[in-house]
Amino acid sequence: MTETLQTPAATEDRSAEVSVRDLTVVYRTDRGELPAVSRAGIELRAGEITGLVGESGSGKSTLALSLLNAVPAPGRIASGSVEVAGVGDVTKLEGKRLRRVRGGALGYVFQASQNSLNPLKTVGKQLLDLGRSHEVEDLQGLVRRARELAERMGLDADRVLDSYQHELSGGMRQRVGIVLALVLNARVLILDEPTTALDMISQAAVLDIVRAVHRENNLATLIVTHDMGVVSEVADRLAVMYGGRIVEHGPALEVLQRPSHPYTRALIGATARIVGDTTRARALPGRPPDLTTLATTGCVFRDRCPLASAVCEEEDPALVEWTPGRYRACHADPTGDRP
Amino acid sequence: MIEARNITRTYRTHGAFTGPRTVHALRGVDFTLPKGGAVSFIGESGCGKTTLGKILTGLETFDGGELVVDGTELSGLSPRRRAPYFRRIQMVHQDPYSALNPTRTVGQILGDPLRMRAKETGASRREQEDRAAELLELVGLQPDGVLGKYPHQLSGGQRQRVVIARALTVDPEVLIADEAVSMIDVSMRLGILSLLRDLRERLGISLLFITHDVATARYVGEGGELHVIYRGQVIERGPTDRVIQAPVHPYTQCLLSAIPVLRGIEEPGPDRLVPLASLDERTDTPGCLFAPRCPFATDACTAERPALVRLGDGAGGADDPGGADGAAGAGDAGDHRHACLHPEARHVVAVEAAV
Amino acid sequence: MTVTATTPAAAVPARPRTGRRAPWASALRVLVRKPGRIVGLAILVFFALMGVFGPYLYPGDLAVDPEAIYAPPSAQHWLGTDFAGSDVLQELVVGARYVLLTAAVAALATVVIGTTVGLVAGYHRGLADSALMRATDFVLTIPGLPLLIVLSTLWSFGQPLQMGLVLGVTGWGGVARAVRSQTLSLRERGFLEAARGLGLPTRHVIVRELLPNIAPFVAMNLLLAVIQFIGAEVALFFLGVVPFSSSNWGVMLNQAVFSGGVMNSPEALTYLLAPLVCILLITLGIVLFLDAIDELFNPRLRERS
Repeated sequence: MTETLQTPAATEDRSAEVSVRDLTVVYRTDRGELPAVSRAGIELRAGEITGLVGESGSGKSTLALSLLNAVPAPGRIASGSVEVAGVGDVTKLEGKRLRRVRGGALGYVFQASQNSLNPLKTVGKQLLDLGRSHEVEDLQGLVRRARELAERMGLDADRVLDSYQHELSGGMRQRVGIVLALVLNARVLILDEPTTALDMISQAAVLDIVRAVHRENNLATLIVTHDMGVVSEVADRLAVMYGGRIVEHGPALEVLQRPSHPYTRALIGATARIVGDTTRARALPGRPPDLTTLATTGCVFRDRCPLASAVCEEEDPALVEWTPGRYRACHADPTGDRP
Repeated sequence: MIEARNITRTYRTHGAFTGPRTVHALRGVDFTLPKGGAVSFIGESGCGKTTLGKILTGLETFDGGELVVDGTELSGLSPRRRAPYFRRIQMVHQDPYSALNPTRTVGQILGDPLRMRAKETGASRREQEDRAAELLELVGLQPDGVLGKYPHQLSGGQRQRVVIARALTVDPEVLIADEAVSMIDVSMRLGILSLLRDLRERLGISLLFITHDVATARYVGEGGELHVIYRGQVIERGPTDRVIQAPVHPYTQCLLSAIPVLRGIEEPGPDRLVPLASLDERTDTPGCLFAPRCPFATDACTAERPALVRLGDGAGGADDPGGADGAAGAGDAGDHRHACLHPEARHVVAVEAAV
Repeated sequence: MTVTATTPAAAVPARPRTGRRAPWASALRVLVRKPGRIVGLAILVFFALMGVFGPYLYPGDLAVDPEAIYAPPSAQHWLGTDFAGSDVLQELVVGARYVLLTAAVAALATVVIGTTVGLVAGYHRGLADSALMRATDFVLTIPGLPLLIVLSTLWSFGQPLQMGLVLGVTGWGGVARAVRSQTLSLRERGFLEAARGLGLPTRHVIVRELLPNIAPFVAMNLLLAVIQFIGAEVALFFLGVVPFSSSNWGVMLNQAVFSGGVMNSPEALTYLLAPLVCILLITLGIVLFLDAIDELFNPRLRERS
């Protein structure tokens, strides 16, 4: 909040650091392989923060993990590609080369970053472990870089490096997670639910830091969250996921102002806000689908959709560019009512 | 109706290396919760909100102050005599995934307390079963669909509704909702919030809403009071909308400034405020508890701990902070109190964007 | 205060009180999910039947045939004969009851006492906890084997019940500690706080809310205790520290080794192996069946199709 918000720079042609194409991730269950992510496509560009919004079971975390080719069993990437600039298709990598990409080119801050630190080792030791496993020659330089990052995030670097996980507050652990993700000079930063367990003040501080670090290092950042407020605070682009599909994608401001998919519209309408008429907000009917309740034909959102029609029963709408720069997957008229 | 007067709770901990330490979880909390009314407590994690909820439901004891339920002061009673009073205060838990016994069906979960209650009311078996169905319908669930189900077969939102239905089995007068929606999917949160509001309106159940998310407090706390609690002390309280729109304590202002702004639909408030440091409970603060983090702290603040006073009353100075803010209804502050030596109304929350 | 529902519930016909699928049906599904479980259960049922009906198959005393000492397996003596010319199979079948009954009684006593102590201590904390845990510590320090040797000078242990109880009463310390720690962690869970907040009676909270959640753990302990106690009693008889007044597997092992049979005549090998194989089979059965315990007790795993 100390920083002023920047409107996304007029989309000068930025190179894509990560481009996901037609990605399908399936989980093996008792009922056969069910798709958690279906034909998803997304690009992360340098200097741009992309927000990926969805509810539990929407496949957003699975999508984020597949950027590292780290989908946990019984899941696997069934088809599609994840091209990372300078590395190639991550889905084809294995073993040592894959490990080097994780944490190297791609920095990942895990969902429960509070719990993702080893409780028996100091942060400094874990930093060195990270360096060694990536065969960093200059460990001194690594520590120096970590110190810089930590100081930049308003942490007392010496204290933090000497601390065990339990000696740090939730907000501090989240920042340590970001330090560890960036210390190997990653160009892509992926944050999975970075503020979920934090209270408002720590959340605002962490988002502030994400924004600053992102800008200073010209990163390509992906924030995965269920909270519209969080993305709207930081994201330049916004992708909305539902039932394993990206249902809407476009510049954040435009999507928030004029959502074109009924789910996006409903999600914004269902957000508890600090201003405005409280009686106008509406919860969505029904419940978010999981792997087993997901519709196999037709649109996955139709059961909860106010605009559903006959065609939605039969045909799964594809994600198409309906107006320059904006994508949606819906059969209905894009200019529905404003929420 | 319940009334709390100057409730305090202090823990003494013995760390392995740190030696004995005293933690003031609550430093004198007062509130009155009338029938059908609402009081919301907001604050950061670790500010004593959860302790308050546990004390009010009888799961924790308090070591000072008075808790009055329907005119009876509880601290003088034996635990056995207190029980019927605590029965009238029920808790809606934060985590619907751990709040329901995974080995029991919804029917059993509701049946047990109903059977216990039936011993007092004399309801027959049949009436108990009807009541279970009635309660499920009341919270917006299909009885036939869920009675036989286990908790894991329900979604988070449905579970939270079952939790609420279970609380209602013993005919409570007060519901304590501690972060009742923070673990529920976004698309279903509002449904739970409006259910809680409904219960207030239709059944006259009072609601004590504990949260760190001020926006949700607005949805259930209409016409109620908002208490801002910091390190166990209430530092500002007043009518919900009044505190949100014209907070005078810098901590409240920081807290409200931190609420994410829905860009495109909202614009940031003009006076957004960020605390100077993060919360450090270990330091002893003789003066104002917030002084080490406060951008406006003066020497006076670190010397003396301000008490909760009515806005406009002398303690903090003669200036009338309400006067600067016409929109907040200058002059009519309601019962707006604060614990700040230099109160000044600032507009920090987002405003609706003109589109 | 009365709550009125939005829609009249009167029209709703009698509802099933709980809509669980028939417990036997879902238990069966859990068992058939993996073949190992069926095998395990079959082994256990087989030995249980042997324990119950075995003695009726061979009424009367052991036949002694001095003409056929240490006879190899034959059509008449499927597993050969022992030092006295008695049929090994007969001894095995007749002896199963003592072994299994002792182990079952001991395991049951262990689990019942241990679980009760652990639940009460963990749930009530405070004074009750301290007192019960000191008692548990005391029990843990009792050396079971020497105690049995001392007691055997007073009792003959001719009845499985006596021996089972002695083994069980001295062996519940570990279970009590483990159940207590499980209870302590469950105690802070929301549903237990809710049960207390609703004012449900303590007995209800312990029996209906806590117990089902530690049931799989308790059941596992029960089965593992059976293995442990079979081993313990057989060892006692094998060592010969307990006067053996009845025929059982431990006595057979003792005889096989110390009466010199196996040491100098390879024909007697079946006499040594038969009880050993039985013990191993029971252990295998229990281990295979343990795999199903979690799913049997946890509705989430049970209902998974």
